[in-house]
Amino acid sequence: MQTPAHAGRLITPAMVGVALVLLTVPLWIAKVGLYQYIGVEILIWAIYALGFNLLLGTAGLPSFGHGAFFGIGAYAFGLTQFHVAANLWVCLLGGILAASLAGALVAGFVARRRGIYFAFLTIAFGQVFWFIAMKARNVTGGEDGLLPIARLPADFGIVSFDLTGNTALYFFVLALFLATVVALWRLTYSPFGRVLSAIRQSELRAAHLGYQVVLFKMLAFIVSAAFAGLAGSLFAMAQGGAFPEVMALHYSGYIVMMVLVGGGLVSFWGPVIGVVVFLLARDLLGAVTLTWMLWFGLLFVAVILFKPEGIAGVFQDLRRRFSRQPAAPAQPAARSTS
Amino acid sequence: MSALEARQVHVRFGDRVVLEEMNFSVAPGELHGIMGPNGAGKTTFFNVLTGRVRPSRGQVLVDGKDVTGLPPHRIAALGVARSFQIMTLFDEFSALENVALARPAFRAQALHGHRAAIGDPEADAAARLVLDEVGLGSKADVLARDLSYGERRALEIAVALAQEPRVLCLDEPTSGLGSDGIARIAEMVRRLKGRLAIVAIEHDMEFLFGLADRISVVHWGQVIAHGRPDELKANPWVRRSNLGRFG
Amino acid sequence: MFNLIPFLINGLTLGLLFALIALGFMLIVGVMEQINLAHGSLFALGAYVAYALLGPPLPLPAGVGEWWAELPLGLRYVLALVVAPCIVGLLGILIEQGMRRTYGKDPLFGLLLTFGAAMVIEDVIRSIWGTRDYILPTPDAISGGFIALNLIWSTYRFFAAFAAFVFILLTWLLIERTRFGAVIKAGAHDSEMVRALGYDLAKLRIAVFAIGTMLAAAAGVIMAPIWGIRPHMGVDAVIPAFLIIVLGGVGSFWGAVIAGLMVGMVIGLTAAYASEWSLLSMYILLIVVVTFRARGLFGKKSILEA
Repeated sequence: MQTPAHAGRLITPAMVGVALVLLTVPLWIAKVGLYQYIGVEILIWAIYALGFNLLLGTAGLPSFGHGAFFGIGAYAFGLTQFHVAANLWVCLLGGILAASLAGALVAGFVARRRGIYFAFLTIAFGQVFWFIAMKARNVTGGEDGLLPIARLPADFGIVSFDLTGNTALYFFVLALFLATVVALWRLTYSPFGRVLSAIRQSELRAAHLGYQVVLFKMLAFIVSAAFAGLAGSLFAMAQGGAFPEVMALHYSGYIVMMVLVGGGLVSFWGPVIGVVVFLLARDLLGAVTLTWMLWFGLLFVAVILFKPEGIAGVFQDLRRRFSRQPAAPAQPAARSTS
Repeated sequence: MSALEARQVHVRFGDRVVLEEMNFSVAPGELHGIMGPNGAGKTTFFNVLTGRVRPSRGQVLVDGKDVTGLPPHRIAALGVARSFQIMTLFDEFSALENVALARPAFRAQALHGHRAAIGDPEADAAARLVLDEVGLGSKADVLARDLSYGERRALEIAVALAQEPRVLCLDEPTSGLGSDGIARIAEMVRRLKGRLAIVAIEHDMEFLFGLADRISVVHWGQVIAHGRPDELKANPWVRRSNLGRFG
Repeated sequence: MFNLIPFLINGLTLGLLFALIALGFMLIVGVMEQINLAHGSLFALGAYVAYALLGPPLPLPAGVGEWWAELPLGLRYVLALVVAPCIVGLLGILIEQGMRRTYGKDPLFGLLLTFGAAMVIEDVIRSIWGTRDYILPTPDAISGGFIALNLIWSTYRFFAAFAAFVFILLTWLLIERTRFGAVIKAGAHDSEMVRALGYDLAKLRIAVFAIGTMLAAAAGVIMAPIWGIRPHMGVDAVIPAFLIIVLGGVGSFWGAVIAGLMVGMVIGLTAAYASEWSLLSMYILLIVVVTFRARGLFGKKSILEA
């Protein structure tokens, strides 16, 4: 990813633009043939995807088992609600914390690796967590899932918002989404994020410059797991339950595909684009054919083969063409020599 | 006391002995060259000095302190910087960003996730100084992958320099360059001489013999000849082999 | 202790089948220098194609489906064992063509591409056959059980072990006793040299990919009556395949076989004590092995170290 123009700022013009557009969604969502809940879904998955891209796009670490953290966030949110306190903030914290702890555990094993070993380890861990979720019926409800999870009110002390309606929930999730965007933008273009990017481009050189590579990979992993946990918690709340299928390999594959198709390898906003395209395809294509998922998979394969920069990459190309700059070659990740 | 020293370093990969009884030292301000045919073990030796390979036997000392077996990032933090023969630059970053990352001041705050890494005038100025030293001042904002080969070689050294090292290990810094490029690098290294300890692996005889205070000839993983350039010119082995084809 | 014997035999059977999957996986890794994450889905596809050939009549024109279904099950089973791998092998060639574009690029792309292929194959399976479990019909001659030594044995498990053994033997003969096999081994060791010697590296890669895929599909057909047929059975095959080549080393035939038997035994024994968690033991074993990174019992440093 090349350093974008406003990397040093906390809040960029793009963020403001996106925020304004998203704020108006409830006004026109029904008029375009969609419904409010998809807005909620898109934002939740966008949080998940942005956090995931810190790991994949910035640090170059392909995690194929990230659904585990999404799922752990969902289950932890529900379990906290049932057993600790039916307070929104406590439950969200529980979800994030549980996912972060799981992330730390897995990171301990995977951070020393990269490439193929890293990928397989994440698959194995994803399967282990999925297995546990399916078999530990007493805790997780097994295949039937953990139900019912209520939409707790957003209580700020002086004022409390009821989130049972989709529009109210949408605005709540939007606030968290914008906070996520600001946080991850800053993180990506902070010294920490720069080192992660350096590690992706040449782990060898980064180590010889004095950076403790394993530590950085671990932290990146934990942070991305934390955001997955936040997204998972919101997901559990939005759909009223936590289910083991989000931890299956297939589901973990969705986030990889979304992020890549959207252009996460070359753009901060790529993951968000990918989420929008995926969920819109699900609804619009899904109404026409039951095999929409297959078409999206083929799109993913085509993107890898012909345009790994994804949709965001296409936009960047167009922008370059119109400003008549030389095109940058499509080599998002230099092969690390080690 | 030597800035960097290797004592009886022995490296074996499986049942293949790559380095045998390597003794080596470089004093602060000295330039100690290493030459030898391909496959002699020179780069493996560098890997041992910088922590990438752990010797089967022997010791590596930095400023008298035993660092044998320490990982690369620890040895780098002790003031040993290295450039690579096969260039390992951060191609997506600009020349300025490449250099900025190497600075100890940046490294000290590397875990800060809350600050912006860009737009710090002090850091930028310091990084530009390093670029000026290697002649890349005007190319600060060019992406590393868009630089010419000669410029990339210069950047390769600049990144190592930016680490403010006590010992600079250069692995074939003129590899692939024409006589102009070699001369430029030689000039650069000449300016650095005296300020820090330099170890340089090189194939170019003029370069080494013109700059080095001492040279070690490495062949089959051993130091077969060692001494000042004028002493080595008289060395029968050096004269007999292709290495001593001039002087 | 004596009661463990059926579980040990099961473990042995599983081990031979895992070795078969791993051999196919390893051939591809050796010559392509890429990991094929879709290997498991091809294994699954083998099982599904076999089900198509042995299950309810297919809706083919001119009553061909009904005619086929009328044929004796034994005949159809033997044909399925041959035909299913061939069909899946063709798909394998298709994947190899796609992977060509990722040669020389960051290995991440090969990984993502084969992952995408795996997802697509799984979705194709879901579209055609749905998500429910299927059972593969097997001929009476190899079904059922028998009693010996006061224990009940499954006839099919013995047949499965035998079939796996035959396929492994055929693979061994191919690699060790034919010139083609010698070229494969050379190609795994030094692809540049093979090309310099005049062999068409591209054709070699296609052939190896096809063979590796066929072995996976064959394993899928044989494994189907033991594991059942479900869309996500692929990941349960590719994980032990990877584990086995980490344990046995890339490029070592006997390493793959012995490591395969070891992994099979671990699962077989776990099944004796906690049957629900037996597959889980495989994932945990992978984590443990990769963490302590055995370079391999027989093999040398491999491309996995990239």
